[in-house]
Amino acid sequence: MHHLKTGALFALLAIACFGQPQRFKDSEWPTYGADLASTRYRPLDQINASNFSKLEVAWRFKTDSLGNRPEYKLEGTPLMVNGVVYTTAGSRRAAIALDAATGELLWMHGEREGARGAAAPRQLSGRGLAYWSDGKDERILYTTPGFRLIALDAKTGAPIPSFGKGGVVDLKLDDDQTIAPDLTTGEIGIQSAPVIAKDTVIIGAAFREGMTPKSRRNNKGYVRGFDVRTGKRLWIFHTIPMKGEVGYDTWLDGSAEYTGNTGVWTQISVDEQLGLVYLPVESPTGDYYGGHRPGANLFGESLVCVDLKTGQRKWHYQLVHHPLWDMDISSAPILADINVSGRAIKAVAQPTKQGFLYVFDRVTGVPVWPIEERPVEKGNVPGEWYSSTQPFPSKPPSYSRNGVTEDDLIDFTPAMRDQALTIISKYKIGPVFTPPVESKLDGPLATLTLGTASGGTNWPGGSYDPETHIVYAFACNACLTPIGLVKSPKDVSDMNYIAGTAGQEPRMRTGPGENAGADSPIPSRAPAPARGGGSGYVPLTVQGLPLIKPPYATISAINLDKGEIIWQVAHGETPDSIRNHSGLKGLDIPRTGQAGYSIGTLITKTLLIAGDSQVTTTNEHPRGAMLRAYDKATGKEVGTVLMPAPQSGSPMTYMLNGKQYIVVAVSGGPYSGEYIAFTLPSTDEHAETR
Amino acid sequence: MNTLRRASQLFIFCFALAGAMQSVWDGVYTSEQGKRGQPLYNKYCASCHGEQLTGGEDSPPLTGGAFLANWNGLTVGDLFERIRISMPQNRPGRLTRQQNADILAYLLSANQFPAGEAELPAETERLKQIRFESTKKSE
Ligand code: HEC
Repeated sequence: MHHLKTGALFALLAIACFGQPQRFKDSEWPTYGADLASTRYRPLDQINASNFSKLEVAWRFKTDSLGNRPEYKLEGTPLMVNGVVYTTAGSRRAAIALDAATGELLWMHGEREGARGAAAPRQLSGRGLAYWSDGKDERILYTTPGFRLIALDAKTGAPIPSFGKGGVVDLKLDDDQTIAPDLTTGEIGIQSAPVIAKDTVIIGAAFREGMTPKSRRNNKGYVRGFDVRTGKRLWIFHTIPMKGEVGYDTWLDGSAEYTGNTGVWTQISVDEQLGLVYLPVESPTGDYYGGHRPGANLFGESLVCVDLKTGQRKWHYQLVHHPLWDMDISSAPILADINVSGRAIKAVAQPTKQGFLYVFDRVTGVPVWPIEERPVEKGNVPGEWYSSTQPFPSKPPSYSRNGVTEDDLIDFTPAMRDQALTIISKYKIGPVFTPPVESKLDGPLATLTLGTASGGTNWPGGSYDPETHIVYAFACNACLTPIGLVKSPKDVSDMNYIAGTAGQEPRMRTGPGENAGADSPIPSRAPAPARGGGSGYVPLTVQGLPLIKPPYATISAINLDKGEIIWQVAHGETPDSIRNHSGLKGLDIPRTGQAGYSIGTLITKTLLIAGDSQVTTTNEHPRGAMLRAYDKATGKEVGTVLMPAPQSGSPMTYMLNGKQYIVVAVSGGPYSGEYIAFTLPSTDEHAETR
Repeated sequence: MNTLRRASQLFIFCFALAGAMQSVWDGVYTSEQGKRGQPLYNKYCASCHGEQLTGGEDSPPLTGGAFLANWNGLTVGDLFERIRISMPQNRPGRLTRQQNADILAYLLSANQFPAGEAELPAETERLKQIRFESTKKSE
C-alpha cells in the first residue's frame, strides 16, 4: 500500500517533470505559430476595435548590426516567455533575447560559419527559433544558415555544453545520406523555426529554388527528430521512400534513388496529446519538369502524419500528384477541433498556394469533405510524365484564384482589356493544373498560372480561432507566374528541360548563397538579346498596370464546421501606381489590395491583425505601410496604424504587466529589418496595474 | 497625433522641394549607359533577380508593382545607396560606383523609364536630386 503510494507519487512527479507537455499562459507566445497547432491566436482584448488606431510604439529593435551587412527581409515572428522576447535577426541570423517591456538587448548569439555559411541555400535571418523548458532548465534552439542546430541557455545565450558537441549538432551529418559534394558546399539548409514537442526537436530541410536545377540529382530533404536535452537523433522520416518503404513504387525507373529536394522547409505542427506530427512536404527536384522522376512521387506535395516518438508514418495524403507547378505545401498545417453536422472531429486544415483549404480528420487522414480525383489536361513536353487525375476538394471552395481565364484580366477600360487579350494570346491559359509548355517564340511562350509558385497562401500560413472554428488566410490573388520550359544546354544542367523563355539564353537561377554572379566568369555564350529585340520577353503589364484585375490580395474567413467562406476582403491599400495612374483618372476603383506573398495574420479575442505588403502615400497618411485591424466576425476594418515599412514577418502578441503588446517585423526597399512593438498609450488605469 | 502632424509637415516640405528636382521621367540616363549596364546586371545580379528582373522565391523582383512601390516618392540616390551597401547580396560593395550607376541605368530602362542625353551620375548627392516616381505626373 505504502509502496504503491510512493510509486504513484513518483510517477506523477516524473510526469510533471518529463512526460507532460509544458503548459504556457495565454499571455505568452511560446512557439512560432503561438501554439503547436499553429493557430496564431491569442485570446487577448486590451487592444480592440475602440483603441487600435491609438497604438503607439513601445520599443523598436533595429537589426542592422547583427551581420556584416544590413538585412532588408526580416521574416521572423518572435516568441515571448516569462517577460523575454526571443527571435532571430540580421544577415548573420543571430539569436537574440530582448526585454519584452523595453526592447533592451539582453543577449545575442551569432555563429560565424565562413565558407559554409556563404554557400548556404537559405540565408538571412530566417523565420525564428524555438523555446523549451522542463521547469528548471530553459533553452533556445535555432538552426544556422549553414545547417547546424544550436542549443543555448535561454537566460544567458551561452551554448549548452551537453547538447551535441558544445551546443551544436551538425545537421549535414547522420541524415541517412551523404550530403554531396561535401559538408561545406553540400546543398541543404533551413529557414523555418524549429518546433519542439515533448522534448523532441523536429527539423526539416530546404534547398535552392528549384526552377532551374543544376542536376536531376540532389540531396534529399528528410525530416528528423532530436532529443532536446542531448541533441541525439531520435528518428528520421524519409520524404522520398527508400527501397522497401511505402511509396517507393511511385518513383518509376528507380528515380527515388537520385531525385532530391522533397523537403519540409516550412513550419511543422504537432498534436502533443495524440502524439502526432504533421509534415507539409514540398516538390521534388525540378519544380516545373518531372521527366526524370516519372510516377506520382510520394511524398512530394503530400501532407504526412508521423508518430512524434518514432517518426513512423501514420497516414499521408498527396495534394498534387507528380508535382509540376511548384505548389509545395508552403505553410503550417492548422490543427482544429471542429464540429461538422453534429460530429466532433479532430481536424487538420491545410492552406495552400493553389487556394484550396484541404481539411482532414487528423487521426485517420480521411477527408472531412470528399476530395475527388478529377481528370486533368495532359501536356506534351517531351519526356514528361503526367498524372491523369488530380485531387479536388469539394469543400470549402477555393479562396483565391488558381487558374487564368479571360475574365481574370484587367478590365478598368475596354482598351486595357483588349491589350491584355493581345498579351495573353502569346501564352497558354487554363484552370488549376494546366500543364507547363515548352516555350516557343511564336507561342505559347509559357503557361500563365495563378496559384502556383508565389500564389495563394505562402510561408506565413493562416490563423485559426479555436472558439469559433474559423480559419483566416491571406492569399495573393494576382501573383502571376509564367511557366515555360526550354531545353537545357548540357553545361547548364543535366535536366532535359529547365524553366526559361524561348529566345533567351538559358540561365541558372540560383538565389542567395550560391556565390551567384560575383565570382563567376562572364558567360561565354552570346549575351541575351536586348529588350524588345528577338527575345520572347513580353512584360506582363498593361500600361504599367497588372495584367490581372483586382483584388490583388485577399484575406478570407472560412468556417470549418460548414466548409464555407464567410467573408473575404481585399487586403492592402490601393498601390500608388494605380491610384495615381493617368489612364484611370475619374474611375471609381474600390480598394484593390496589394499583391504579395509574405503576409501573415494574427487573431485576438475580437480582431484580425495584418499589415500591408507595400508602402503607399495617400491624402490620409504620409509614406508608409499600414498595420490593419479587422473585426474578425465581419471583416470590417476597425483601425490602422502607420508603419515605416511593409510587414515582412507575421505579427504576434503578448500581455506583460497589464499591457498588451503587438510585435511585427518590418523591412523592404530602403528600410532595413526592424522589430516594432506597439502598445496603447499609458493611462492612469494602466499605471496602477504596473 | 503629434508625430502624424510632423510627418505630414515633412511631407509637404518634401513636395515643395520636389518642384525643383528632376524625376526618372526626365531622361536621366542614356541608352548607351543602359546597354553598358545590362551585361553587368546579367553577370552580377540576374542569377538571383532573374534575367527579366522578375525575382525568384527568395529575391524580390526589380520591376513591377512591389518594386516601384518600394521606391516611389524616394530618390534614385536612395536606390543607388541600397544597391551599393547591400548588393550583390553575396558580395556587397564589390562593384565600383560607375558599375553601380550603369546597372542602375539598365534597371531604369528595363522599368521603361525614358532614356535621355546625359548619363546617370555616380555620386550619391547628385542622384539624390532625381526623384523616383512610379507613375508620370500629368502636367
Ligand atoms: C545572391 C543573390 C543576390 C544577388 C546576386 C543580388 N541580389 Fe539584390 N537582393 C537579393 C535579396 C535576397 C534581396 C532582398 C533582401 C535583402 O536585401 O536583404 C535583394 C534586394 C535587392 C533590391 C531591393 C529591391 C526592392 O524591392 O526594394 C535591389 C534594388 C537589388 N537587390 C539590386 C541588386 C543588384 C543591382 C544586384 C547586382 C549588382 C543584385 N541585387 C544582386 C539577392 C541578390
